[in-house]
Amino acid sequence: MITRELMAPLMFGGLIVFMLIGYPVAFSLGAVGLFFGLIGIELGFFTPALLQALPDRVFGIVSNDLLLSIPFFTFMGAILERCGLAEDLLEGTGQLFGPVRGGLAYAVILVGALLGAITGTVAASVIAMGLISLPVMMRYGYNMRLATGVIAASGTITQLIPPSLVLIVLADQLGKSVGDMYAGAIGPSLMQILLFCGFIFLVSILRPAHMPALPPEARTQRGWPLIRRVLWGMVPSLVLIFLVLGTILLGIATPTEGGAMGAVGALGLAALNRRLTLNLLWQSMDSTLRLTAMVIFILIGSTVFTLVFRGVDGDLWIENMLLGLPGGQMGFLIAVSLFVFFLAFFLDYFEIAFIVIPLLAPVADKLGIDLIWFGVVIGAVLQTSFMHPPFGFALFYLRGVAPKEVKSSDIYWGAVPWVGLQLLLVAIIILWPGIVTGFLDKPQAGGPAPVESVAPPDPGADTPPSQTDDAAEIEKLYKSR
Amino acid sequence: MNFLLKLSALIDRVNVRIGQAAAWLMLLAVLISAGNAFIRYGFSRSSNAWLEIQWYLFAAMVMLGAAYTLKMNEHVRVDAFYGRYSERTRLWVDLLGTLFFLLPMTVIIGWLGWPALAGAFASGETSGNAGGLVKWPALLMIPLGFLLLTLQGVSEVIKRAAALTGRTKIDAAYEKPLQ
Repeated sequence: MITRELMAPLMFGGLIVFMLIGYPVAFSLGAVGLFFGLIGIELGFFTPALLQALPDRVFGIVSNDLLLSIPFFTFMGAILERCGLAEDLLEGTGQLFGPVRGGLAYAVILVGALLGAITGTVAASVIAMGLISLPVMMRYGYNMRLATGVIAASGTITQLIPPSLVLIVLADQLGKSVGDMYAGAIGPSLMQILLFCGFIFLVSILRPAHMPALPPEARTQRGWPLIRRVLWGMVPSLVLIFLVLGTILLGIATPTEGGAMGAVGALGLAALNRRLTLNLLWQSMDSTLRLTAMVIFILIGSTVFTLVFRGVDGDLWIENMLLGLPGGQMGFLIAVSLFVFFLAFFLDYFEIAFIVIPLLAPVADKLGIDLIWFGVVIGAVLQTSFMHPPFGFALFYLRGVAPKEVKSSDIYWGAVPWVGLQLLLVAIIILWPGIVTGFLDKPQAGGPAPVESVAPPDPGADTPPSQTDDAAEIEKLYKSR
Repeated sequence: MNFLLKLSALIDRVNVRIGQAAAWLMLLAVLISAGNAFIRYGFSRSSNAWLEIQWYLFAAMVMLGAAYTLKMNEHVRVDAFYGRYSERTRLWVDLLGTLFFLLPMTVIIGWLGWPALAGAFASGETSGNAGGLVKWPALLMIPLGFLLLTLQGVSEVIKRAAALTGRTKIDAAYEKPLQ
């Protein structure tokens, strides 16, 4: 006989088994939730009224103003990545940094960060770098593992650097403002770029043969025309991104408004570059729609799961387990980081953000952990999910575009030191919360922008966040059991 | 079986059309949202109806696009094992998964969504914000979206069953959606 206490662990185990089968996650999650929901009703743990809350939950998700910014930012990135931006930037900066030992590697890191901010997709950066930079690095004698590693790792910077989708999703799940989340992620993403460049610098001293400077004949462009080309490729989109991020960080625009204006701006930029075709527009719209439907349905599936999981006191089970950890805040953060790091071998970041974060956030809050800090730590750990051999996304994309003579084992081994660097970054963020909160205080102290006083109330406040404020509603439902 | 395959092809066509329409709704949402922001900062004015249209469109694009996404096999999977299955195993996983995971979920949530829609439709309830829109079109999206997903699920089951019995061939290859 299944007791009530057994339901939560069984359900969690069921979740892992159901997902590993390989059926789409959104529906596997929903199936686990409904399956255990029906068992729970059968055994009298709660009433059927619990499941009747489901359509309401789904409605809460699709009427969420904040989540609306997901298609907007995706659309902006989808247009900008199809504008040939990556190609221009990589070729230009590669030439510019070529004379320096390891110059191509620095170029890849910096362009990875820029593209990350601009396009927001790991795939776009990694594919572009794999097609453009990797052959050049191979031709001029870069160490193969170093070349593939730096490309895969730089592609993942996207996930932490604002305006990343992960940060929007995490902000939603933690019930925090996206602006604060963005501000908190600035320091760590700069630190990440520094760490990566520092590593290249170190290797260029210890193993100079791994990364020769480009010989003069490889540098077709130099001087002013080259600088102009790099600037022309970079500045317009950077201005756009800074406008979008700036207005969100200063609290002038909501993320939704910022995303929408950014998307319109991206359309304008594409038109300026004479690349705005109906085909480009359609492809961007199509891929945005599918990504949005996919992501939001994972959230819908995880809502079904979470509703029932809380119904069998799964949240208390997790809480008791985690509050019992030694070491207070530090112990909790380390344990959670390790947990997410291992989950990331199998799951993607959206799945982790939607399933695990709602379970962990209340515990973090109880321990007095700043939720923005917590979110950024998780965001940094999640980046590793792209680099884990052998399932990491970035490695997978790179395998797809790398020339045949690149061995898969080179790609896998090449990623290992960068996963290490990433863990070092996580350790830095945990040990030095100031790197997150230092950027937070200013916008908060600045108060609302003057525009707010004449404008109507923030439209983002119309709809509650999808997961947080439902405690009372749930309470009501469970009372009837 | 021929009849079923024709039915499946019809469902596919309908959902592709609806999905493509949903993609245009996405563009419309971008333009309306940017227009709202522009008018709010430029002229310090705003309208609740236009603000609400934004997420009505969001609801429509997500709920109407989900079946299309399923048809294109772009709902993300955990492919630690799925990536190594043989083609036949994949077909079986999809067939049984659709029958026992997807269809119960879409049928139950879609079914539970009707009463709220019927109530809002009968009462002509509005959002509660001044000048807000009537609520039922947004509520309609939930049962409608799950109905389309159910139909697409049926179509996927037919296609997998036909492929398993050797009547047709389908491409069971799965690539993770780009992120």
